[in-house]
Amino acid sequence: MNQKDNKVICPSCEAENLPGTLFCVQCGTYLPSGGPLRTEPLPEQGEDRPAQPRKKGQVGETQERALNIEVEVLSTGRNVMLSADREILVGRLDAAHGIFPELDMTADGGLEHGVSRRHARIYTRDGTCFVEDLDSTNGTFLNDERITPYLPYAFRDGDLLMFGTMRLKVHIHPNE
Amino acid sequence: MNTVIDPQKDYYAVLGITSEADDSEIKHAYRERARRYHPDSAHGDAARFRLIQEAYEVLADFAMRRAYDRQRESRGLSEDASVSFELYQSRRSMRPLDGPQLLYVLAEMRSREELARTPQRLNLALVIDRSTSMRGVRMQNVKVAAADLLEALHAEDRLALVTFSDRAEVVAPSDFVDNTRSFKSALTSMSAGGGTEIYQGLLAGLKQVRRYASEDRINHVILLTDGRTYGDEAQALREARRCARQGIGISAFGIGEDWNDVFLDDLARAGNGVSRYISSASEVQEVLKEQIRGLSNIAVKRMRLSINAASYVEVRNAYRSEPYMEILQEEDGTFALGNLTADEPAVVVLELLVQCAETGDRRIARLYLEAEEASTSQSLRLRQDVEATFTLEPREEVLPPRLLNAMTRLSVFQLQENAWQALEQGDAQQATRFLESAATRLFDMGHRELAQAAMLEVGRLSQGVDPTGEGRKKLRYGTRSLTTSSR
Repeated sequence: MNQKDNKVICPSCEAENLPGTLFCVQCGTYLPSGGPLRTEPLPEQGEDRPAQPRKKGQVGETQERALNIEVEVLSTGRNVMLSADREILVGRLDAAHGIFPELDMTADGGLEHGVSRRHARIYTRDGTCFVEDLDSTNGTFLNDERITPYLPYAFRDGDLLMFGTMRLKVHIHPNE
Repeated sequence: MNTVIDPQKDYYAVLGITSEADDSEIKHAYRERARRYHPDSAHGDAARFRLIQEAYEVLADFAMRRAYDRQRESRGLSEDASVSFELYQSRRSMRPLDGPQLLYVLAEMRSREELARTPQRLNLALVIDRSTSMRGVRMQNVKVAAADLLEALHAEDRLALVTFSDRAEVVAPSDFVDNTRSFKSALTSMSAGGGTEIYQGLLAGLKQVRRYASEDRINHVILLTDGRTYGDEAQALREARRCARQGIGISAFGIGEDWNDVFLDDLARAGNGVSRYISSASEVQEVLKEQIRGLSNIAVKRMRLSINAASYVEVRNAYRSEPYMEILQEEDGTFALGNLTADEPAVVVLELLVQCAETGDRRIARLYLEAEEASTSQSLRLRQDVEATFTLEPREEVLPPRLLNAMTRLSVFQLQENAWQALEQGDAQQATRFLESAATRLFDMGHRELAQAAMLEVGRLSQGVDPTGEGRKKLRYGTRSLTTSSR
């Protein structure tokens, strides 16, 4: 987020907005995250995807608190530990199209539960966990509230995530 | 020991009594529970025991009990209040700044019961446009929809049928709905022809409703039109406001593309009702039925939200975000919010401009919600505070998902409203930019059809052609009822 005289400059249209503004008055871009994050790495590069680009000056300055996110698939009781130092794709494996989700829901009946192949992504920033729907067919829900595609929603320990109709409970442990 | 009243705690539940309990019941319940949970007893629980003591100290004292009841009621925590009133803020800690900054507050009003305590009996007038343009399929569909309406209404509901063109005609005076024959014959004899003078029709409809208006009924006029009215808008609005004060509401439905959307929106707002766009005649039936369902399930009438803000705070914008979106207009320091349906929450989002350069905990604004309970006509008044800490090191905060969802939709709605406004001021270039942005956001949100409608109008504007009435209405009413939850 760029700031000049405390004004928030929209990264996409450069309009000036008052501090605290959520959506740019001129173009509707979501300001706290610098807009809908639509520039995703192509799925073809799946395996050795480059590390997430960081903003200049951010490296080393803020010591990111590493978090471990544990999700529990409620229908099957499967527990998965996700190390959140990089982005996690939630979906169903499709080798033919180069889609290799870190959290693959195929074995939990993902297809029957309406999980898309590229359904959502989970990442942490400054010690907060975010989930972002990737315009999935059946939607992502945070505590039974459907979230808007391509906007990051923060979630906490004990929250309930739902991909399609697949329900997951979140446990967040600080990583020493 | 000085007991501090905590309205968040339900002392009645702690003692296992109702809020109606008298002194001896309170004493009895206290003795029984205190004995059971005393730390020295077999089921001892020290924390619980302390809570029981606290509950007893408050409820046994007349003054303290009254203060506690009041505090709970004002916060919407009391079970007696039929409505809950809750606030969600975009931030609770903010940096003190010399200049203005924005704080968003979402207020949610929800009936505590899914079904109104008693289904409301209706006193309706259906005011139907029978101008020449209604000829053919439109009139046919309206007739079918009205006949269908008779089935959906309760035998004790009242209905009047009014048609209008250049002048108004009461084709079926207000009567109980079980007497269907007169309505049916009135419907078959209806034919189209003439101009459109909404004020005349409205006046005749209101007269019918007023004759039998009573506190224990929902008194409402439903206007169906497909045309513009000329020169009588101001009169109609004045009449709508006057009737709203007498407890008679107005809803307005526009069929097709040619009606004046701004006027019908204003009319419905003044009349404490809703306005809707009916794109094809075949939808009339559905929309009318839904409207009746909504009206008979009203839990609370005449909601008003007033804001008592600190001197350094200004309300920049106020929106309703649910059940549908609109920009709210302040009148005498109050926002009129109309009725609350039992199964649908009402949500308002306020954009507060805050200019405060000093640190400290502050109450930024106090919000009052006033309304009347539909079944008892009892008035209720709830209160909530917007508070924030001004600090040089604001906490990292999580934006409430509810607020983010509401603002996502509102920002798109605002973009397209900006476009029409820019166009009105003759700035087609700016209008194009706003519409393009709206289209992009609509695509992102997965509303492809609406996005395409926006792009179509962008195309027309860039060629110097005025936008189509259909496109404008599709966008205005489409973005207005945007929702992210498909279930």
